[in-house]
Amino acid sequence: MNWDRRAFVKFAVGAVVGIHASPLVPKLMDDSAIWTQNWNWVPTPEKGALAFANSVNPETGTGVRARLIKGRLQGERLIRIEGDDQHPASRGGVVPADAAAPQNMYYGDFRVQTPLIWDPLSGIHQAATWDQALDLVAGKLAELYKAGKSQTVAAIGADAESVSGEILARFMAAYGSPNLAFMPSAKQTLALAGWAMLGERNLGFDLDHAKYVVSFGTPLLEGFGAPVAVRKAFANWRQDYQRTGTLVQVESRASVTASQADVWLACKPGAESAVALGMCQVMVSQGLYDKGLVDGALGFGETDKGKGFKALLDAQYTPAQVEALSGVPAKKLVETAVAFAKAAKAVAVCGPGNAGEPGRLFDFMAVLALNCLKGNLGKEGGLVVRQPLPLKPLGEALAPVAKPRLDALAGKRLIDGYDPLSLAKAALAGAPYKLGALLVVNCNPAYSGPQASLMAQMIKAAPFVVAVSPYLDETAKMAQVILPAGTWLESWGDSLTPYGSPVGLYGLHRPLVNPYPQAKSAGDAILALAAKLGGPVAQALPLASTEEALKVRASGLGDFDKLSQQSWWAQAKPAYGAPAMKTPSGKLEFFSMGLHNLLTAKASDGAAMDKMLKALGVTASGSAALMPHYEPVATGGHGKLVLAASASLRASAASQTTAPYQIKVLDNTVLSHTKDMVVEINPATAAELHLAEDDRVRVDSAAGGAEARVHLFAGVAPGMIYMPVGLGHFAPANAFTFERGGNYNRVAEATADPLSGTPVWSLTQVAVTKL
Amino acid sequence: MTTHEQGQAKRSPADWLLFVVGFVLFSALGFWGTPALLYAEKPQPFQFSHKLHMEQVSDGCKSCHYFQEDGSFSGIPALEKCKDCHSDTPNGDTPQEKVFVEQYLNQNRDVPWLVYSRQPDCVFFSHAAHAENAGLECAQCHGEHGDSTSLRRYEYNRLTGYSRDIWGWNILGLGGPPKRMKMDDCANCHRDNGVRDACFVCHK
Repeated sequence: MNWDRRAFVKFAVGAVVGIHASPLVPKLMDDSAIWTQNWNWVPTPEKGALAFANSVNPETGTGVRARLIKGRLQGERLIRIEGDDQHPASRGGVVPADAAAPQNMYYGDFRVQTPLIWDPLSGIHQAATWDQALDLVAGKLAELYKAGKSQTVAAIGADAESVSGEILARFMAAYGSPNLAFMPSAKQTLALAGWAMLGERNLGFDLDHAKYVVSFGTPLLEGFGAPVAVRKAFANWRQDYQRTGTLVQVESRASVTASQADVWLACKPGAESAVALGMCQVMVSQGLYDKGLVDGALGFGETDKGKGFKALLDAQYTPAQVEALSGVPAKKLVETAVAFAKAAKAVAVCGPGNAGEPGRLFDFMAVLALNCLKGNLGKEGGLVVRQPLPLKPLGEALAPVAKPRLDALAGKRLIDGYDPLSLAKAALAGAPYKLGALLVVNCNPAYSGPQASLMAQMIKAAPFVVAVSPYLDETAKMAQVILPAGTWLESWGDSLTPYGSPVGLYGLHRPLVNPYPQAKSAGDAILALAAKLGGPVAQALPLASTEEALKVRASGLGDFDKLSQQSWWAQAKPAYGAPAMKTPSGKLEFFSMGLHNLLTAKASDGAAMDKMLKALGVTASGSAALMPHYEPVATGGHGKLVLAASASLRASAASQTTAPYQIKVLDNTVLSHTKDMVVEINPATAAELHLAEDDRVRVDSAAGGAEARVHLFAGVAPGMIYMPVGLGHFAPANAFTFERGGNYNRVAEATADPLSGTPVWSLTQVAVTKL
Repeated sequence: MTTHEQGQAKRSPADWLLFVVGFVLFSALGFWGTPALLYAEKPQPFQFSHKLHMEQVSDGCKSCHYFQEDGSFSGIPALEKCKDCHSDTPNGDTPQEKVFVEQYLNQNRDVPWLVYSRQPDCVFFSHAAHAENAGLECAQCHGEHGDSTSLRRYEYNRLTGYSRDIWGWNILGLGGPPKRMKMDDCANCHRDNGVRDACFVCHK
């Protein structure tokens, strides 16, 4: 036996072979592979008991089911939002904004977790207790009240119809300020148009049963009303790969809705109502209209007020004239009008604009006129009247505040209303008085406008701003005091029937999880403030909590516990049947006596009325001014191109913040080069401006500007530029959306809708310069 | 001798004994040393007697390990289930119950049981499909827990963190129940029984 190197080598080889003959190598390799899978690539929630809970997203009207896990260590966590298949409108579907909601809720850095008070010395918001924050706010408000300046406190809320809206309204009325503005919505415009012509404010479109739908200038499939409900209705029209329903989209871009429609009538921007009126004219001239309803209507034939609607149509809206106004070929117009008139269940639809704008009164009246001529009122698949929701008020009606309003249009308005833009304009002008304090509840006007730069200016200039917000968003950043609100998944609140729904729907959301214990429901924050203030304000709001307020409000909807578990209440089916006309004449009115009476109350004679109408921006004269007609869009400003927004279900509604997941699903015709917003320009227009694909440009209007990249898209009308919404956030707390793209609301200039005065911001003149 | 002569000289066959010694030594290291070094024990929070509890309940295993309304499996019961029978005063006089009542029930803490069959997060497993549809008995995969008076020893793999039950207590992966629960074991059973074994069946 030689104890030498060779012997050692033999030993070593034996050892190696021995190791490999054992399971050591495969076992360790397998374990190493599994060890690498343990690295925290994807954080996963702790496993635990599974539970489901219903809710309704107030922004989208979708009925959802939340999946909750109760982990042993982490407690109750909401891990997923799915659709509630029992909800009569959304039937189990969700849109990206619904699915992404938990992401925003759990985004700790972006959430307001405790009350925050601005410290001018350090230049940052410092955490405080609720008592400290409320003491500060109540102190300021009490000071103004004692000095007789309660009217200098203004408030902006998101939804006037919601319970928090009602609580805020009672607060302001009891406190003594008339300056309460809510975000404008298309619901107001449809209600006004319905009232003007039918005496009925509560209208909906029965899309589920319609077989021929013409949509005028509204993104029917990309953000109309309750988006999921509309998509479900649309699915009915495409059942089993057959086209059982026809959709005609009238707009100036080959949008998703236009692409999925059966017919796209490409029309010039803002001229959709001219197309509707053209269709009316064709139907009347060919006798294809509901003579029984229409011939006897007020203002159809000649009246003592002037020429009637029929004469107006023949004078100004013949197919040839409409072709000149809108660019839609006369032949196509006639074809569509006849098909619409002959279809069994046809409905014409109007709605919010691409960026959620409220829509224009006369446009909506034109669409209602088309529906009346079709004779689909109260019929299946047509325009239906909804039963109002049997909600109870929170208390005795409060006397209206006798103090003068701040908004610029006060006194000049024909239609009573209060929008944040007119508040901002007056506040910045400092007339008739200066703003003393501003409350912003559950909305983000510095980002979502209307006309965001002006809103931001107002908020910056206001001496004392209180934001009740779940997020450290653009508006909250500028506030002196931020009170933490819960998102809809963590708080009590409600939402009423979404725009255009044919049935009354009530959605209730309740706290499903409590990740930030200091966040309260928005209503609770206002109630707490009222309690601190005491006096008449506390007396007007003797409610312990928003939950209690909801119990009062929804007492007519059945057992509250059941309702809050189910989260929704719905009218069983549309109220079919010819509606009673509640107009002054008791008939359908093409010439609106309602509007006429409002005018005569303010103006003494014909000349004064004309003057008032001109002042309200109405270009039509004579009786046409109070009938459905086409008003050219006042875009104002400078610049050669017309800017509009492109709607998308992937972005969020104007006030809800865009979630990181939603940023990820934007393709590079919306967001490219990681942070650049993409605008769409017609290739011919781009050639004139010497712009090529992917060029960096600056888009400027009188209201503001944004930078973007160019995308050449022949589906955009020449002379137009389309910008996506939901980008351009500038709240640094949200790292995912911060400075990604530009904000459409900053560039869009809001103008007052003729007659109604509602701010609209669909079209803006812009200048595009290459960078 | 010169080196060359050394090299030419006959070598002893006993040299090969060294080969054998090396082989035996290191294969032994592989077979026995590996598990000894790789696995460590973790004690369960306290001992639990299934046998004792089975005598008390009316529904057998299903009393605490049951299917919920939506078909998901309840797994190891949470504290709420224990509270069905246990309260802040002990029912019996075992020292284990004392630990349970004092350290967990009274403090409203869920007991952090160590799970023998924990699979990675990428695995989707439906108890309903196996226990109800396929009619498998709990014991076929999990062993005869129901008759035990104490919980089995829990050992975990130091490298991966998973229970030793997954690879199997035998380093070669032989023997059982409790059945091994590596991916191949599931796939083999699926194949043998003609059930789909495509990737997405378990990895959603």
